[in-house]
Amino acid sequence: MVMGFVAAAIAMLIAIIPAGIVLCRDELASSVVAYELITSVIVIVLALLAQGFQRSSEFELPVLLAVLMFGSGLVFVRAMERWL
Amino acid sequence: MIVKDVFSDILLGLAVVVVLGASVGVLAMRDAYQKLHFVTPAAMVAPALVALAVLVQMGVYENTGESFLALLFVVIAGPFLSHATIRAIRVRERGDWRPDAAGKASAEEKEQ
Repeated sequence: MVMGFVAAAIAMLIAIIPAGIVLCRDELASSVVAYELITSVIVIVLALLAQGFQRSSEFELPVLLAVLMFGSGLVFVRAMERWL
Repeated sequence: MIVKDVFSDILLGLAVVVVLGASVGVLAMRDAYQKLHFVTPAAMVAPALVALAVLVQMGVYENTGESFLALLFVVIAGPFLSHATIRAIRVRERGDWRPDAAGKASAEEKEQ
C-alpha cells in the first residue's frame, strides 16, 4: 500500500464536503455545478485509491466512471435546460 | 527513492489543496455562473497534478496507463461540461443562449 495516494484520496473525500452542502441545499443550477465538481473529484479519488492499493481490478473503475461522468453530465444538463 | 516519495507527496498535496479550494469556492460563491469557475481547477489542474505524482512514484506501466486514461477523460470532459452547463443555465433563465435573441425575447415580453 502506498500511503501518500491513500492519504490524498481521503483528504479529497473530505474536501468535497463543501460541494456536497451546495448539492443538497442550493438551487438546481448550483446543484448541477456541485455535482460536476464532485464527479470529477470522485474519479480522481478512485484513481488514487487504485494506485494506493495496487489491485489491478480497481484500475478500471475510474476509467469507466470518467466516461460515464461525461455522458451523464451532458444528459443531466440537457434535462435541466429543457424539462426541470 | 526518498526524493521520488517527497516529490510525489508534494504534487499530491497540491492536488488536494486545489480540490479543497475549488470545493470551498463552490460553496462561497453567490450564483451558478460564479460557482462554475471553481469546477475548472478541480477538473483540469488536480488531475494533471495527480497524473504527475503517479508518473513520478510508479513510472509507466499498464496499470498507471489506465489511471492516466481516466484522468485524461476528466481533463477532456471538464471544459465541455462547463460550456454545456453555462449554456443550459442561460437557456433556463432567458429562453435562449444568444445575447441578441435573449434581448429580443425580453423586449417582446415587455411589449406584451
